[in-house]
Amino acid sequence: MSELLKATDVSVHAGAEMLVEPVSLALTAGRPFTLLGETGSGKSLLAQAIIGTLPAGLAAAGQVTLAGRALDLARRDGHRALWGRLIGVLPQEPWLSLDPLMPARAQIAEGHAFVRGLSWAEANAAADRDLAGLGLQEAADRRPDQLSGGMAQRVAFAAARAGGARIVVADEPTKGLDIGRRDEVTRLLLDEVAAGGALLTITHDLGVARRLGGELAVMLKGRVVERGPAAEVLAHPRHDYTRRLIAADPASWPQVPPRPGTGAPVLRAEGLSVSRGGRRLFDGLGLDLQPGEIVGIWGPSGCGKSTLGDVLLGLARPDQGRVTRGAGLAPQRFQKLYQDPPSAFPRCLALGRALDDLVRLHRLDGARIPQLMSRLRLSPALLARRPAEVSGGELQRLALLRLLLLDPVFLFADEPTSRLDLITQAEVTGLLTEVARETGMALLIVSHDPELLSRSADRVISLASPETAGPRLRHQAA
Amino acid sequence: MSITQVDMPLPAARVRPWARWTGAALLALVLAFALLAPVIFPADPLRQSLRHILAAPDAASPLGYDHLGRSLTARLASALRLSLMIAAAAVASSALLGVAVGVLAAWRGGWVDRAASLVADAFLALPGLLLVLIVSAIVPVTPLAFWIGLTLVLWIEYFRLTRATVSRLLAAPGVQASRLLGFGPFYIFRRHLWPELAPMLLTLGAFGAATAIMMIAALGFVSVGMRPPTPELGLMMVELLPYYREAPMALVIPVAATFVTLLGLNLVAKGGRA
Repeated sequence: MSELLKATDVSVHAGAEMLVEPVSLALTAGRPFTLLGETGSGKSLLAQAIIGTLPAGLAAAGQVTLAGRALDLARRDGHRALWGRLIGVLPQEPWLSLDPLMPARAQIAEGHAFVRGLSWAEANAAADRDLAGLGLQEAADRRPDQLSGGMAQRVAFAAARAGGARIVVADEPTKGLDIGRRDEVTRLLLDEVAAGGALLTITHDLGVARRLGGELAVMLKGRVVERGPAAEVLAHPRHDYTRRLIAADPASWPQVPPRPGTGAPVLRAEGLSVSRGGRRLFDGLGLDLQPGEIVGIWGPSGCGKSTLGDVLLGLARPDQGRVTRGAGLAPQRFQKLYQDPPSAFPRCLALGRALDDLVRLHRLDGARIPQLMSRLRLSPALLARRPAEVSGGELQRLALLRLLLLDPVFLFADEPTSRLDLITQAEVTGLLTEVARETGMALLIVSHDPELLSRSADRVISLASPETAGPRLRHQAA
Repeated sequence: MSITQVDMPLPAARVRPWARWTGAALLALVLAFALLAPVIFPADPLRQSLRHILAAPDAASPLGYDHLGRSLTARLASALRLSLMIAAAAVASSALLGVAVGVLAAWRGGWVDRAASLVADAFLALPGLLLVLIVSAIVPVTPLAFWIGLTLVLWIEYFRLTRATVSRLLAAPGVQASRLLGFGPFYIFRRHLWPELAPMLLTLGAFGAATAIMMIAALGFVSVGMRPPTPELGLMMVELLPYYREAPMALVIPVAATFVTLLGLNLVAKGGRA
């Protein structure tokens, strides 16, 4: 096994503040290296320092040795010559970093022509070979908007490697992808490693780290807290943080027995059909929600999960079918929890004021706010802050608090934890299910993670079309 | 480019508050002169005096006298009051009109939106100066004509920005959440829309006032705006132009006053965008 890249004592500073403490690592051919950590742990900064793409205002220190050359990271000028030739970067959300007007073949051929210096005819031929190798022959003339997310990812991958780079740096390659696509990307990266390349992956996803294997480093607050062979670290974590991280993975949540709801349904949908953009999302869907019942909705992205919730809440109109609410229930007792917590609050208003507004509007009992705050483990100091000054997990719990003031009978939670870190996700999901059980609120929870749903919901509805086989679910015909 | 994305807080981008403060100071200076000059140096801006034709500054008029022996101090102060007042009135009314129509168009959508956009586009197709001229041909009182004409020119900017901002905000989850919680349109305007619109309105207002003052002066300069002997910045410039050899300072005074006012307004607007 040859060592392709060696980083010694790499650290990142913003002025006097140290954001990433010195880390040394080596990338070897045929063995993936994974940096695992939450948002803000400094894992992306470390990778950016190594490849020389730190944003202005941040400084790196340390040394990187690759292809027999030593680079001092404190100087910013040595890296440019390596990009494309030795190091290829696979960006997050590749459909955003591809040229939107350029067909796939040309995006890849540019790398062959400009970086490797081939003639355009040769470059196009090489791009076609790359595409064929990834099973994308038919996509050569398509623009990024005509490619699916997974195809765009593969085109970006081919473009990143066109210059002949043997070291691939993948920054959150699975961010925003559903399970099927995630596995596809991991496979792509592993193929590259099997062909003798080196791989540095940055991820917050335990599943990705597990599948990639190789060497794993866990980062927390700018420090590597644990490292070693991935299988060993994940099976026998030594650091407390790693243990909590693994326990928070939905795959290791305890399986709770399903509990059928009781009483008259609070919401009943009959024969719902909805189309968007000329495509039928679902047809003849029926659903009864009883008090205290937790129903999961699973489906690949774009299958109409959010649309279904909006139809049930009366925010969108179905093409056919109807939704009936339980008799005598006030309209504000049907609520929604949003995917992106900061966007659900007025941006310029202190959170406490927003809650007071609600209390005044519905003449609620304001004394319940402190009770609920301690129930949801929130600090009262948060009420003086604005939404942008509160972390995502806290804000999502505050959003839940705001809804609970209204004693909801139905809550539609639209991927409420997909923007949160693993540990926070476990906490918020746990609170949601507890509250539903305690208050008898019917909870409809959307997620792209089948593990999360099968371990928190009483039953799961799959919106996947029959031709795309969904994962095994605790399924009930809707 | 996602590789430049940082998952740690960066030092906030440096803002330049000095621009806004310098602009505000310049405007305060102009305003103080316009309001205090008649108190400290009382003189009738229309009173002619053959003894003082193009006379040098004296204790009664520190800015000297024009070709008809009128006090330039009193005339400049009066001209500034007129321009600033018309500009302020036009900005206020156009902001009110533009924001109201913009919010309505974004909120209601459909034919209301199409009709409002059509009217705005129609106004946009007319050059601003021409629009003010047309109105002044219809309305006999010149300051009133300026006010109406400038309002019709300036409201379009407010309308377009408000409509774009509000349609984005209305589609965001925050407004939907507030509606689900039972809040009405007034609350949504006050808590969701207004805080986002207000800073933008200040910037637009400063630019709008600068446009208004320029237009009043430009029309005065080509002798189709205010009528003599009313003191007005553009009119003063064109009246004093023939005497630039004998009394260069007299010509410089209205030019400098216009320049300082516009500089102040633009600095305020610039500070608002930083």
